[in-house]
Amino acid sequence: MIQLFHVSKSFGPTAALKDIDLRIRTGEFVFVTGPSGAGKTTLLRLIFGAEPPTEGQIVINGINLSRISGTKLDLLRRKIGFVFQDFKLLSRRSVFQNVALALEVTGEKRSLVRKKTHQILRSVGLASKEEAYPVELSGGEQQRVAIARAMINDPMILLADEPTGNLDPDITREIMVLFRSINLRGTTVVIATHSRELLRNTDQRIIALHGGKVLE
Amino acid sequence: MVKLRLWSTYFKQALSSILYNRLVYAVSVGTIAISLLIFGAFVLLSVNVKTWIQGWGQTLSISVYLKDGVDEGTREGIRRAISTLQGAEIKGFISKEKALQDMKGMLGSQAGLLDGLTRNPLPASFEVAFRNVDKAKFQPKRIKEGLEKVAGVDEVQHSEQWIDQFEGLFYMLKIAGLAIGGLLCVAVLFIITNTIKLAIYSRRNEIEIYKLVGATDWYVKAPLLMEGALQGLLGALIALGVLLAIHFVLSFKVIQILGLPFMDVVFLSAGYVLGILSLGLVLGLLGSFIAIGRFFRF
Repeated sequence: MIQLFHVSKSFGPTAALKDIDLRIRTGEFVFVTGPSGAGKTTLLRLIFGAEPPTEGQIVINGINLSRISGTKLDLLRRKIGFVFQDFKLLSRRSVFQNVALALEVTGEKRSLVRKKTHQILRSVGLASKEEAYPVELSGGEQQRVAIARAMINDPMILLADEPTGNLDPDITREIMVLFRSINLRGTTVVIATHSRELLRNTDQRIIALHGGKVLE
Repeated sequence: MVKLRLWSTYFKQALSSILYNRLVYAVSVGTIAISLLIFGAFVLLSVNVKTWIQGWGQTLSISVYLKDGVDEGTREGIRRAISTLQGAEIKGFISKEKALQDMKGMLGSQAGLLDGLTRNPLPASFEVAFRNVDKAKFQPKRIKEGLEKVAGVDEVQHSEQWIDQFEGLFYMLKIAGLAIGGLLCVAVLFIITNTIKLAIYSRRNEIEIYKLVGATDWYVKAPLLMEGALQGLLGALIALGVLLAIHFVLSFKVIQILGLPFMDVVFLSAGYVLGILSLGLVLGLLGSFIAIGRFFRF
């Protein structure tokens, strides 16, 4: 469960989010939408704990982010996957190494890291590209690597910031199918997007932001 | 077990970063090595000067230089005057000719320089050692003043004069070594801090991704601290290696060429070697710590 209580966030004089009250239930699939500058990315970054709110409280599965130490926050992040529009892959590391990284930082056994990395890459259809480097992959493939990395720790929550912003419609559909299958396994999925195409015909909950406020 | 695995990961990351930025690290390690070499050279010189002073201090001796043209009778008078001194033992009489011969021997292949002399400028001398004398009560100045009044004596030099001069030199070396060492330490810190800062800048995207996947601050900092420590340690090792080579050359070549076989050149003791290695290590860690502190909170 993600809970936000009267959350505001300002960057200097600019207010990015204003008095947000929000609840996202465990296992829910939610779109956060709004025009550029509406506060979508800021909202996701606050939920991830990358930024502290200027006001208000954020509670993730009963843990108040403003009341835990930096190290505990790092450990909590292992249970929150994050996917970006620009993929954020390490160019000097292979697909396998990029995905394995998320497990390596936990100090997991090498044999288990190898096993889980192979499994997750197979599940996103990249088993044949394990040794490739990000630069050798298409945009869709790079995004699947990023999703695999976000999923390898079996996160409770998956946050995605404009995950299909750089992808063509066919690949976008593929990626969305992947997100749905992840959600079906019980992971809460929160996707920030300004794409109307993505929201058309969806039966998922949509949180619309405008000027830092929730509209619906 | 988890921690051990993580330490092995940190070390691999540090090595991988050093190899990737090898040129920057080579320049940095080279500069650290030169700085620690200069510092080590001062320590080595101080240690040797101290050893020489201690060696000379164990023998109380004087040289009584005679005026030119002193006859046999006057020389005997001087010998008698010396014999009256408590504990004095004449170790030998060095004639003008012997003094010149000794000088030629010391100059070795350069002895030809003395061929142009029209007259022998070196004085004859008595070499006197004092046995069973209480060092605290030994008054070389009074002996010098007394002997210089004896007919035929030109000048008296005592080992204490040399020791005093060398002790002054030793003190100056120590002060200069400390001052230069301090400055070099600051320079080494500055170099390591900047190298690690460069490493952080070049890896800022990587660090951001580490944090995204839940890496703790320590997971990011540990390899950077190791990089600094490795730089410092490697610089210190190179400095000690070069210092050892210099010591070898000094011991076996220069001392022979200068004709100073009585001057034993000792190398740094294990304590000093460990000290220089530790200094490199600590400076490396401290430099990394400062650089990291600018980017992360500890």
